[in-house]
Amino acid sequence: MRDHTLNPFIKYLGRRFFFLLLTYFIALTIVFILPRAIPGNPLASILSRIFQTGQANPELLRSVERTLMEEFGLGKPWFVQYVEFITKALRGDLGTSISSYPKKTLELIIPVIPWTLILLIPSILIAWIIGNTLGAFAGYRRGSLVDRIALNTSLIIGQIPYYWLGMLLIFFLSVKLKIFPGQGGYTQGTIPNLSFSFLLDVLSHYILPSLSIIISALGGWAIGTRMLVVNELDSDYVSFSEHLGVKSKTIFGYVFRNSLLPQVTGLALSLGGALGGALITEIIFNYPGTGYLLFRALSTLDYPLIQGIFVILIASIYLANFFVDFIYAIIDPRIRLGQGES
Amino acid sequence: MFGTIFKPLFRNKKFIVAFSVFILIVLMGILGPILYPKDPTSFAGKMESPPSKEFPLGTDTYGGDLLAKLLNGIRTSLYIGFLTAVISMVIGLLIGSISAVKGGVVDDILMSFTNIVLTIPNILLAILVATYLKVRSAEVVAILLGVLGWPWFARAIRAQLLSLINREYVYLSRLAGYTDLQLAFEDLIPGIATYALMAFILFINGGILGEAGLSLIGLGPTKGVSLGIILQWAVLMEAVRRGLWWWFIPPGLIIVALTSSLLIVTTTMDEIFNPRLRER
Amino acid sequence: MGETILELRDTKAYYIIEKNFVRAVDGVSLEIKDEIIGIVGESGSGKSTLSNVMLMSIKRPLTFMGGSVKLYTNGNELELTNINREELQKKIWGRETSIIPQSAMNALMPTKRIRSYILDVMKSHFEEIDEKEIIEKAINRFEEIGISGEFINRYPFELSGGMKQRAVIAVATLLNPRLLIADEPTSALDVATQKMVLKTIKELKDKKIVKSIVFITHDIATVRQIADKMVVMYAGKIIEEGTTDEMVSEPLHPYTKGLLFSVVTPEPEVKRRGITYIPGTPPDLINPPPGCRFHPRCPERMEICDKEEPLLKNINQRRVACFLYEKR
Ligand SMILES: Nc1ncnc2c1ncn2[C@@H]1O[C@H](COP(=O)(O)OP(=O)(O)OP(=O)(O)O)[C@@H](O)[C@H]1O
Ligand code: SF4
Ligand SMILES: [Mg+2]
Repeated sequence: MRDHTLNPFIKYLGRRFFFLLLTYFIALTIVFILPRAIPGNPLASILSRIFQTGQANPELLRSVERTLMEEFGLGKPWFVQYVEFITKALRGDLGTSISSYPKKTLELIIPVIPWTLILLIPSILIAWIIGNTLGAFAGYRRGSLVDRIALNTSLIIGQIPYYWLGMLLIFFLSVKLKIFPGQGGYTQGTIPNLSFSFLLDVLSHYILPSLSIIISALGGWAIGTRMLVVNELDSDYVSFSEHLGVKSKTIFGYVFRNSLLPQVTGLALSLGGALGGALITEIIFNYPGTGYLLFRALSTLDYPLIQGIFVILIASIYLANFFVDFIYAIIDPRIRLGQGES
Repeated sequence: MFGTIFKPLFRNKKFIVAFSVFILIVLMGILGPILYPKDPTSFAGKMESPPSKEFPLGTDTYGGDLLAKLLNGIRTSLYIGFLTAVISMVIGLLIGSISAVKGGVVDDILMSFTNIVLTIPNILLAILVATYLKVRSAEVVAILLGVLGWPWFARAIRAQLLSLINREYVYLSRLAGYTDLQLAFEDLIPGIATYALMAFILFINGGILGEAGLSLIGLGPTKGVSLGIILQWAVLMEAVRRGLWWWFIPPGLIIVALTSSLLIVTTTMDEIFNPRLRER
Repeated sequence: MGETILELRDTKAYYIIEKNFVRAVDGVSLEIKDEIIGIVGESGSGKSTLSNVMLMSIKRPLTFMGGSVKLYTNGNELELTNINREELQKKIWGRETSIIPQSAMNALMPTKRIRSYILDVMKSHFEEIDEKEIIEKAINRFEEIGISGEFINRYPFELSGGMKQRAVIAVATLLNPRLLIADEPTSALDVATQKMVLKTIKELKDKKIVKSIVFITHDIATVRQIADKMVVMYAGKIIEEGTTDEMVSEPLHPYTKGLLFSVVTPEPEVKRRGITYIPGTPPDLINPPPGCRFHPRCPERMEICDKEEPLLKNINQRRVACFLYEKR
């Protein structure tokens, strides 16, 4: 065995960390460049848009203008603006909201984040687990009727966009059958608290948006795992194990495990898309999470708020990404003990 | 040559069904607005009326004829999907093949770049960019989606090319004094043509779904009707909760039919061209 | 040479691809005794397929078309063709028969330590196992085979090629199977490692860990070093069979002669490639040539050769399928 001075596990994580940090900087830079890339004075353009949307209280406007001027650092050289922007972003100072002036954008974002996390994380994990299990069984019984049915339904279900699925669920299960509430995170008028009845209320509001994320993500995982399992079944260790008389159940366990490993990385890669999907799902369901806040920010052209949401969302995706990388490194011995990733 | 490649496809039932559905929808998009020449944006008469003889798919809150909107929407969505695919394809092919053929530092730089774009959540980035664009034509939306969609394809192309390059005949062409470019066009591109065709189809799907997603947030094309725009207005006008099913069901159905038929087309192609998966 | 271990009688196994039959094993009869038997043939001649037939490990698209495969275990006679795959996996494979697969480099479950894989193998065969005892025995087996018993705690990817190959051999022989099939066990290794692995395999028989070994290779030089008996395959059929010494000193079949010539020739290129020295290409097994399948490449071809098929006939202690040796 090769003896490196550095533990391969640490090395791998360090590399991933550096890469994600670099990517995060690039993402921040894009957030920085975009408003400034608009031809003409960006501030004027923002203000003129505010005028257009009709929030024309002159006094308020002047004060907004001052704040913006300061926060965007306009008039200073671009690299000073850039350094200020990055340091502020890293300190968590994401500027002042226009539509909810004079609130800080962070104040607006923090309360909605848990709603999005609660919606997103359990849903994608459930989809991942169910989808992969289904796919593995279909792959193991490849070519059978069950496989073909599972494959084709997954193919089609996987193509149903989460937002449209959400609409269908609202229409059929909420409007027509009245089983679940079709909008919001809890019954309007109640004040969030930790009582049992409130939690139950939240749960009943949770089911439909969560279901729409689960169902639409499930198909993709199932198809992917099926493919991996089919390939894996062709591999040499499977036939060697068979010829040694290892039980089929045990062999299936091997195949399942080895097929899941790449799907763990797949989970990390899919997080961005899943978050995007969750944002739109929230809009459809008027669910009080980040997506809904973003939607409001977009319709009021509250650029600082929009920027703030992005800085936070991208950071959380990278954090989650790193977390998944970490898990992956633990469960795949090839990484843990240092036989380079592919 | 074309005949021998595509013949086995047309013996596959699944492929025939999926391909027909796709062609049917394409025809709806191309011929529909001509055969049903109503203005999708004008006030057609009644507001929010359910499907009737006069309005086969009903009308929306502004009295817009939803069938006219749907047909025009298919056209726009297909156009965006197609354009997105062309853009992603060109970028992916260029980056992937330059990376594979040049190797070395060029390869390292291009692949790092690819990985970075891959890791930046592209839906979020699309939302952010779209936010700052005052006017978004269908083309702008397609460019946005296309420019963000290519990384996985570039990686796959690079991998495919690398495995091809190691084969003997490419080695021989190099000996025979072919330049990199000649090599790429005469030996390598044919080797990955079917693969690229399948990726193209997946990109079309990505474009159609991406457009609809952007539109729902309110960042779709600012002019014209697309399938996403119809859904956006349905959401804004609470069509779902008010039970106006004729407004939001047809465009969604078309999206699902379009993308899943295309997906089935690619998977059957994959089964037929990739013998490893055959008979499994 | 004593008892018979495995007996194939007129076995046929084809790959069915769409409507085509790839006749990879086409009427092979063979008796495997208490010995090391070398099976030689160029790539695509059906050696690996034959090894699957010996185990009756038949998986689509491979299809068993007929014949009998008899396994003799302590006094019992088992007709493997009548036993379904599940039973074989449970009762025969690993216990009575074992195989070192052609691609031994990837044969071990990659994400499991060898130790835990060994326990899985044992748990599959016995209701209750004593883990400590098994690990002890496995460590012994590793050391018998010439690799450190400590490797048992490693993952396959932590071993070098030669180590991995021997670990596979150790794992394959844990239950002291009577018959071991080694499918090109040395082709992927460098020359020095090849020698060691070859020695290891020979020792399996000397130490009575296994009773008989079927050693498959396309390299006739290797067979000379290890096998008591030699079988030459061409296009899905056995064309000559005899003791290694006799075959080498006096090859009968023109194909065997060609093979041997390629070994004695001084040209390193020919030597390295072995069999490819014989001009022409191996036949298409979907539409094999009529008559003698070797006739398009045979330097001694006669009138009758593309019309009738030569049968495998006994000549003294040997068998050969060629019209040169048929009195007509
Ligand atoms: N899975 C398969 N599907 C179709 N044909 C196959 C398959 N496996 C092998 N064949 C064909 O069967 C014939 C015999 O193959 P086999 O693997 O038994 O040859 P071999 O003598 O072991 O060759 P090698 O020295 O390359 O291992 C070849 O013509 C091969 O193309
Ligand atoms: S039978 Fe004829 S063709 Fe075949 S090996 Fe003998 S002499 Fe040659
Ligand atoms: Mg073989």
